[in-house]
Amino acid sequence: MARIRLQSVGKRYPNGFSALENLSLEIEDKAFVVLLGPSGCGKSTTLNLIAGLEDVTSGALYFDEQIMNVVPAHRRDVAMVFQSYALYPHKSVYENIAFGLRMRGHPAADIDRRVKDAARRLELEALLDRRPHQLSGGQRQRVALGRALVRQPAVFLMDEPLSNLDATLRIAMRAEIKQLHQTMQTTFVYVTHDQAEALTLADQIVVMRDGVIQQIGSPEEIYDRPRNTFVASFLGNPPINYLEGMLTEEGEALCFQRGSLSLVLPHALALRLKGQAGRSVKLGLRAEEVDEHSVPRPGETLHGRVSSVLPVGSDQYLGFEAEGKLLFFRVGRDLRHREGENVALSVNVNRLQIFDSGTGDSLLWSGNGA
Amino acid sequence: MTALERAGHRVFLAAASVVFLAYVLAPVAWLASSSVQQEAEITSRPPHWIPQRPTPENFAAIFEAKEKQVTYENRRQGDPATGGYIPSTARNLMPAMWNSLIVAVAVVVLNLLVSVPAAYAMAKIRFIGRSASIYFMLITRVIPDIALVVPFFLFIRKLGLLDHLGSLVITYLAITVPFSVFILVSYFESLPDELDKAARIDGCSRLQTLLLVYVPLAVPSLVAVILFTFLTSWNEFLLALMFTQTPASQTMPIVVASFASDFTISFSFINAAGVLAVVPPVVLAIAFERYIVSGLTAGAVKG
Ligand SMILES: Nc1ncnc2c1ncn2[C@@H]1O[C@H](COP(=O)(O)OP(=O)(O)O)[C@@H](O)[C@H]1O
Ligand SMILES: [Mg+2]
Repeated sequence: MARIRLQSVGKRYPNGFSALENLSLEIEDKAFVVLLGPSGCGKSTTLNLIAGLEDVTSGALYFDEQIMNVVPAHRRDVAMVFQSYALYPHKSVYENIAFGLRMRGHPAADIDRRVKDAARRLELEALLDRRPHQLSGGQRQRVALGRALVRQPAVFLMDEPLSNLDATLRIAMRAEIKQLHQTMQTTFVYVTHDQAEALTLADQIVVMRDGVIQQIGSPEEIYDRPRNTFVASFLGNPPINYLEGMLTEEGEALCFQRGSLSLVLPHALALRLKGQAGRSVKLGLRAEEVDEHSVPRPGETLHGRVSSVLPVGSDQYLGFEAEGKLLFFRVGRDLRHREGENVALSVNVNRLQIFDSGTGDSLLWSGNGA
Repeated sequence: MTALERAGHRVFLAAASVVFLAYVLAPVAWLASSSVQQEAEITSRPPHWIPQRPTPENFAAIFEAKEKQVTYENRRQGDPATGGYIPSTARNLMPAMWNSLIVAVAVVVLNLLVSVPAAYAMAKIRFIGRSASIYFMLITRVIPDIALVVPFFLFIRKLGLLDHLGSLVITYLAITVPFSVFILVSYFESLPDELDKAARIDGCSRLQTLLLVYVPLAVPSLVAVILFTFLTSWNEFLLALMFTQTPASQTMPIVVASFASDFTISFSFINAAGVLAVVPPVVLAIAFERYIVSGLTAGAVKG
C-alpha cells in the first residue's frame, strides 16, 4: 500500500525537451486518481516517473516516506497496464501473466494458483495456452490487466488502457476496472485523455496541460468549479460556451452584460465577485445548462436563433446564434425546434462560470475560493 | 488479363528463373564436377560437365597430404592414378580450415556478446550521444579495408599478435561488429518501447529484459548476424594475408590462394579444396534455413 508524493518534480528528456516543470501532487493510499489532459501534456511521463521507467530530473518522488528517485523500476512494487498492452509475443497467456511472479521468485505452486485465480476473474481460463497474436483486442486487454493484478502491487498504473477498444467494450471495461479498484484496495493512477472515463472512474482528477497541473479535485469539483477556461473546456460535451462581456451593477444586483443580453447573477456568485463590477469577463455557459421548457424569466433569458439541430440519439445538440456568436446546447430530443426559429432559452444562472477575459482564470473558483 | 496472357506471364517468369539459376549455379556446378576430374579431363574441350572418369584422388590427396612430403623433386611423381600435381602446401589445407573455423566461431561468439547488448542500449536506452554513436559506427564501415590494412598491421604488431589467430579475431570483430549492431538496432527499434517497459515493471533488470524478452524475439535477426559474421570471417582474405605468415595461423583462403602460386597449378586439386571450403557455410545455412529469409528482411524493415 502506498501514498505517492511528487514534490516539485521536473522532467527534461535527453533531447532537451522539458515535459514536466515543478509538478507537485499527492496521491492518497488506495485512491483512484486520473491524470487527464490532451495528448502530449505529460501524463505518460508522470506515470513513467512513478513507475521508475524514466528518471526524475529535479524534485523528489516519495512512496509513503521513502524517496524513490533512484530506485529502479524492478525494485518498485508497481504494476502497469499499457495502451498497446505490450504482451510478450513469444509467451503464452499463462506465461505472460506468470512472468512478473517468476521474476520475483515466487514458488511455482503459488504462481500457478495466482495465475489461475486471475484467469478465472478475467474469464481467460480457456485462453491460457494461446499466444497474444491469437487473441482479440479485448482479450489482450484482459491479459494485460491480469498480468498487472496477479502481482497484487502497491501501486497500479494504467496508461490509456481502454483507448484501443471499441466503444461498447470500453464502457464494460470501465465498470470492471472500477470494481477491480474496490476489491484490490490499492492505489490506482490512471491516465486518459477521455473526460468521460475520468469522470466515471476517478476519486480525484488531475487536469494537466503542457506539463503543468491545472486543477486537482473530485470529478464534481472539476466539472462544477473549473479553475480556468482550459479545465472548463476540457470537460463537457459539447464543450462549454463562452461569451465575452462586462460585469455591471444594476441596483443591488450584479449582472453579466453583453449587447442586449443581461443575466442577473445569483447572490452566491455575486458574493464571490465583490468589487469586480465594470470588469470585462468571459462568461462560461455549459451546454446542458439551458432549460427550454420553463418559461424564461427576466435576467435569465437568452434570445437567439436556432441555426442547426443535430440529433444524437438520446439528446439533440442545438446550434444557437445569440449575441453574434454560435453556441451549442444539449437539449432533450422531445424538443421540436426547427432551424431558423427564434427562441428564448432559460439559462440556469446558478451554474454560470465567470472567467477573466485575459488570463482565462476563473473569477469564482481560482485560488482561495475553490 | 486474359488466361493466355497469364499463362504467358508464368512461362516468362519460369524461363527467367531458370536463366538466373543457371547463371548463379553454373560455377558451383563446375567447381563440384571438376573437383572429381583428373587434371587431363578438366582441360578437355568442350568441358565435361559430367565427369567421364570420376576420381576421389584430389580429396584423398588433401586428407592424406599430412603424411606425404611433397618436394620439388618428387612433385611430378604426384599421384600415379591422376597424374596430377599436388602443391607443396597441400598439407596445410586441413589445418588452415581448422584455423578458419576457430576464427569464425570465435568472431561469431564475441560479436554477439558485444553487438547484442550494444544494439539494445542504442535502441532502447536514451543516453546522450546515442544517435552520434550509431552514425559513428556506420561511418567506420565506409572506409575501405585496404585503407585500414597498414594501421591495423602496426596495431597488431604492437600487440605482438602477428602470425597469431588473435590478430584475425580482433580485426574481424572491428569489421563485423558495426554492421551487426546496425542490423540489431533496427530490429530492436521496431519492437515497441512498451515491451521494454513492461518487462522492467515485471521485475526484469535491463540485462534480464534483453535476455528474456528481446533476444527470444530477435532470433531471425540474430541468425542474420551469425551468418553474416561467419561468412565474413570465413572468406576474409586481405587482412589474413597481411597478418599470417606460417601455417600456424594461415586461414583457408590464404592456403587455397597459395595453391595457385605453386610451381605448377593443379586446377582440379584447387577445385577440390574449393568444394571443402564451401561445406561449412552450407552446413550453417541449412541449419538456419528457416530463419534466413525472415532474418534478412527483418533488418530491412526499418533503418
Ligand atoms: N523520450 C522522449 N524524448 C523526448 N520527448 C519526449 C519523450 N517522451 C515524450 N516526450 C515529449 O514529452 C511530452 C509529453 O509526453 P507524454 O508524457 O507522452 O504525453 P501524454 O502521455 O500526455 O500524451 C510530449 O510533448 C512528448 O513529445
Ligand atoms: Mg501518453
